[in-house]
Amino acid sequence: MTTDHRWLIVSGVSRGLGLALARDLLAQGYGVAGCSTTFGDDLEALKAVHGDKFLWQAVDMADTQAIEGFVSAATTAFAGQRLWGVVNNAGMSVEGILSTLPVSDIEQVLQVNLTGAICLTRSALRQMMKTRKPGRVINISSITGLRGYTGLTAYAASKAGLDGFSRALAREVGRVGITVNSVAPGYMKTALSEGLDDRQLDQIVRRTPLNRLCELADVVHLVRFLVSEEAGFITGQTLVVDGGLTS
Amino acid sequence: MSALDLIREELTQILADKGAETGEIAADTPLLNGPLDIDSLDLATLVVVLEEKTGLTPFADGFVLFHTAGELAALFGG
Repeated sequence: MTTDHRWLIVSGVSRGLGLALARDLLAQGYGVAGCSTTFGDDLEALKAVHGDKFLWQAVDMADTQAIEGFVSAATTAFAGQRLWGVVNNAGMSVEGILSTLPVSDIEQVLQVNLTGAICLTRSALRQMMKTRKPGRVINISSITGLRGYTGLTAYAASKAGLDGFSRALAREVGRVGITVNSVAPGYMKTALSEGLDDRQLDQIVRRTPLNRLCELADVVHLVRFLVSEEAGFITGQTLVVDGGLTS
Repeated sequence: MSALDLIREELTQILADKGAETGEIAADTPLLNGPLDIDSLDLATLVVVLEEKTGLTPFADGFVLFHTAGELAALFGG
C-alpha cells in the first residue's frame, strides 16, 4: 500500500473514534492533519511519536473561516506532499424531544455535523482538484440517520444529510477518481452515546445479530480500507457497521 | 501574466492531463459547450487556480455569469 507522502485531514481527533482514526492512519504511514476543539494528553502522545507527520489545530467546526484557515495551514505544513483525502468525523449531539429542543441547539448540531463537514470537504477539495488525481472523502455518519432514534432528531437529520452529501459529491468528483463514501457506525460506547443508559444499551445489544455494541476498531478497519488504493471503485455508498442491527 | 494568459496556461494543462486536444484559446472562445473538451468540474478547477494565483475571489458573494475565456479573464482583472 502506498501511503508515503500522502496526508489526510481528520476532524474531531481529540477523543473517541476521531482519535482512533488519526492513530491508525498515522500507523499506516499517512500524514494526518487533525483538528478538534480541545487538545489532550492523547494528542500530545501522537505528536511525540509521529512528529511532523501529525499536525493539530484547534478548530470549531461551526466556524467556517477557521476551517478554511486550518486547511490552508495544513497545506503549507505538508507542502510537497499530496493531500489524499478528508475524514469528516467531528460531530456533536443534543438530546431531547423535538418540540422542546432549543432552536439554537438544532442550529448548532446542523452547523457542526453537516455544514462544517461540507465546508471542510470544500476546502480540502480545492487543494485536491488542482492535482486532478484520485483521492478519498469519508463521512462518518450514523445508523440514526438511516433508521432514526427517539430524542436524536437533529443529530439524525445531520447524519442523513451527510449521506446525501456523499452521494451527490461522489457523482461530482468521480471523474477525477475521488471517491466519496459514508460510514454509518452502530451504537458505540463513546462520549456521543453518553445519553444512552444501560437499559437502552442492553436492548441494542439484544437486537444486534452479532450480539455486541460497535467497537472503535470495527469502524477504524473499514475506514483504513476505504482510504486505501484497493477501495478505488467504491463510491457514493453508505457502509453500515452495526453488527446487523439494521439488517 | 494576464488573467487570459493564466487561463490559457491552466486550460492547456487540464486538457493535456485528460489527453484531449488543445486548440486555440482566444478571448471569445466559449469555455463550455464549445471547441474545448472541458466540463464543469474542469471549469471549477480553473477557477480555484485563478483565485489562488490572482488573490481575487469574484464569486465569493455568488455566481457571476460568464461564457468565454475573455469574460472569465475580466473577472480576474483582465
